[in-house]
Amino acid sequence: MSNLRARIDDVLKIARDMGLDFFDIHFEIVPFDVMTELAAYGLPIRGQHWSYGKVYDRQRIHGRMGLSKIFEIVVNSDPAYAFLLDTNRDFENIMIAAHVAAHVDFFKHNALFASTNRDMVNEAAAHAARLDGYKERYGLERVEHLMDIAFALDRHIDVHKGLYRKPYPPRQAVEIERPEQPYDDLHGEERYSIEKRVIGDRFPPHPEADLLWFLIQYAPLEPWEQDVLSMIREEAYYFYPQFMTKILNEGWASFWHAEIMLTYDQLSPQEMLDYAALNASVVAPGSNLYVNPYYLGYQILKDVERRFGRERLFRIRTEDDDISFLLNYLTEELCEKLQLFRYGRRCKGHTTHRPDCPRCQEVVIVSRDVNEVREAIVQERYNYGVPRIVIDEVVSGTMRLEHVDRHERALDLHFTQKTLQYIHELWKGPVTLVTSLPNGRGEIELRYDANGFQKTHINPS
Amino acid sequence: MLSVPWDLRRRGLQDSRRHDQRVREAIKKNLRHLITQEAIITSNRGHMIKLPIRYLDQYRFRYANDPSDPSGVGHGAGEVGDVIAKGPHDALPSDLPGDRPGEAIYEVEFSVEELARMMLQDLDLPWLEEKPEQQDFVVREQMRHVAKTGLWPNIDKRRTLYQNLKRHAAKGEPRLGPLINEDLRFRTWDDVKTRQSQACVYMLMDRSGSMTTEKRYIAKCFFFWLVRFLKLKYKNVHMVFIAHDTHAEITDEESFFSISNSGGTRCSSALELALLHLREHHPPTRWNNYVFHFSDGDNLPGDNLRCVELVERLLTQARMVGFGEITYRDWSSFYYSQSPAETQTRGTLFQSLEAIEHPRLLVVAIRRREEVYNALQAFLAGDGAAA
Repeated sequence: MSNLRARIDDVLKIARDMGLDFFDIHFEIVPFDVMTELAAYGLPIRGQHWSYGKVYDRQRIHGRMGLSKIFEIVVNSDPAYAFLLDTNRDFENIMIAAHVAAHVDFFKHNALFASTNRDMVNEAAAHAARLDGYKERYGLERVEHLMDIAFALDRHIDVHKGLYRKPYPPRQAVEIERPEQPYDDLHGEERYSIEKRVIGDRFPPHPEADLLWFLIQYAPLEPWEQDVLSMIREEAYYFYPQFMTKILNEGWASFWHAEIMLTYDQLSPQEMLDYAALNASVVAPGSNLYVNPYYLGYQILKDVERRFGRERLFRIRTEDDDISFLLNYLTEELCEKLQLFRYGRRCKGHTTHRPDCPRCQEVVIVSRDVNEVREAIVQERYNYGVPRIVIDEVVSGTMRLEHVDRHERALDLHFTQKTLQYIHELWKGPVTLVTSLPNGRGEIELRYDANGFQKTHINPS
Repeated sequence: MLSVPWDLRRRGLQDSRRHDQRVREAIKKNLRHLITQEAIITSNRGHMIKLPIRYLDQYRFRYANDPSDPSGVGHGAGEVGDVIAKGPHDALPSDLPGDRPGEAIYEVEFSVEELARMMLQDLDLPWLEEKPEQQDFVVREQMRHVAKTGLWPNIDKRRTLYQNLKRHAAKGEPRLGPLINEDLRFRTWDDVKTRQSQACVYMLMDRSGSMTTEKRYIAKCFFFWLVRFLKLKYKNVHMVFIAHDTHAEITDEESFFSISNSGGTRCSSALELALLHLREHHPPTRWNNYVFHFSDGDNLPGDNLRCVELVERLLTQARMVGFGEITYRDWSSFYYSQSPAETQTRGTLFQSLEAIEHPRLLVVAIRRREEVYNALQAFLAGDGAAA
């Protein structure tokens, strides 16, 4: 144990010498069940909800069957927390320490993480305590149901507006001073005119993407309800950067653990062999139906280093997320070298999957074009992985939602209906949503109000 | 590195239990579909069965299933258009990127008893009455006495503290003091004898050629749950299994449930046998008799009158007669192949029996598997609902 601590310190020192700059890392060795629990919750202590139990069960079953082994969990905080599985062998923990050091360096430097709460571990524990209190006061069912609603909406955030926001300005007449010609200041002859405008006529003043924030601010809720929604919203903001940087962050960590382990010379020959085997499995390519993100990130970074030198890697780690990383650096040559392709069903003829159609049964290589491959990978990163739904306007108590990308993909109507019902529960007034049917079969308006659910076709006029 | 007592953590386990609880609630709501699952009926009775259950849905805005799914990115050799996998959606590996949450299936272990309890605990054999001549006592232990000595695990803390208070109060000290033996109180048990009425249930099943696999399945499913229910609820209940085509015979439970089909249909044969057996072994002075008969109603037309007569006689001997007609139609139904007019005009056994209009004769029609649940509820709803 003390030996392991010393070896980990050696590895961390090498990491620092190589230019990684990370928060202090607090290592913990934990048993399998705790590891599973940490993986399910994402934070050491977090408000309890049955949905974590669902993930926990699934992961425990997978772990027991040996389908997946979680070697390590690292938490973005200052100091950072890293959890190691108690059955890990020493060389595994050494490699993981190197891997973790790179993750923490990433947390510390990547621009997306700059505004994350570095004290989230304690914050979330405080959330958990408050939630327990509410459960005692208002009953498990009520609090749990409110959490169900919050989790249904928590990915609809607005990262540009951020976590902390002021309410919309009240309706008022304002005078805006603006230059008469836009580029006058360049010519040194600025003339201003006063423009009178009324703001706050439209509510919300712009389409609102942060659904929970809007409901917290403007729905008739009790303070404890606002608090529950706020906690879950805050956690969603905290996890957003991790969601956006999975390939890059894992690639970065895999790149560095390999580099560090090359320098670290205290492994016994047997450990060296074992390490090589483990590393090969961590950055294994995947299969013809799945590309391992560790592998993909690692390969792209290696390619970047070859083309631009190591300095560029640090810039990428600071400035990029998965979308920009893939668009900028997954080149046509690399795509070809890694033999990537996009696949899909051969059959595109009918709108639903038919078990009796032999062509429907076949999954084929659809394209090897780098643009299509990139698009297929980054697609699930767009908008936190959820459809773009905004609050367009509130008109006499009716909340009008709009599904912005409705022309690209249709919504699951059953789920949408339930989610509208959720919003209606909080808003306590009618809620409508404009979306469209699949395959260009026209636009529809869904409405949920006191009379229940309603679907109307919108005729193009 | 710290060595925190990690083993004490139970958050994941607690939420897992809560999820489980919610799944069970969901199961309860879907019982009518679940109870007809083949996996249950064909399981070794009484053992644990595994039910495939979808993880509980967490609603959110999400995209509709793309018919071109699965789609994603893979790697390897091959030309555009090459087939890389085959099979329906669920046969492909579930960890594919793009696999949507909430569609995973896992298995929950249930005992058949547990399902039976969920479904039938509020039901009773209707019109059950005490028979003066022969009654069986059911002995149950109940903790309902208090003694000064007893087993430590049975200590009655509340009464012990009360005694202590009383003892001190008697000395003018209104407080709790040190406990002495004299304060101790223990709960002890008593054998409580309750009378339970004797009941006998006759289960009659048509096994004629027109009872196709699906129809037999429906009948067996009903009887399966009826047997579970009786065993769960009543300590002393006799069960008589009768299978018939044109001819009826008494079978044991096991062969009753593994019966196959052949021959024509004469429902009266089974009713007659039941009546004979009942008179000989279970006279109504001592027994609460119940007769449940399941058939597809493709009875020999001339036999219906005889059936009506027998049922009327049975009703004088039995607390209740239940007849279930499985009207699920498929190619094998003889009358179905006849002209529609003929089908309409034929007097089915169902119609003949319905005409009897006796309060303790219940006739139900089952069209689908899901309706087994309704039949159980209808037959066992108790006097109030049925009368």
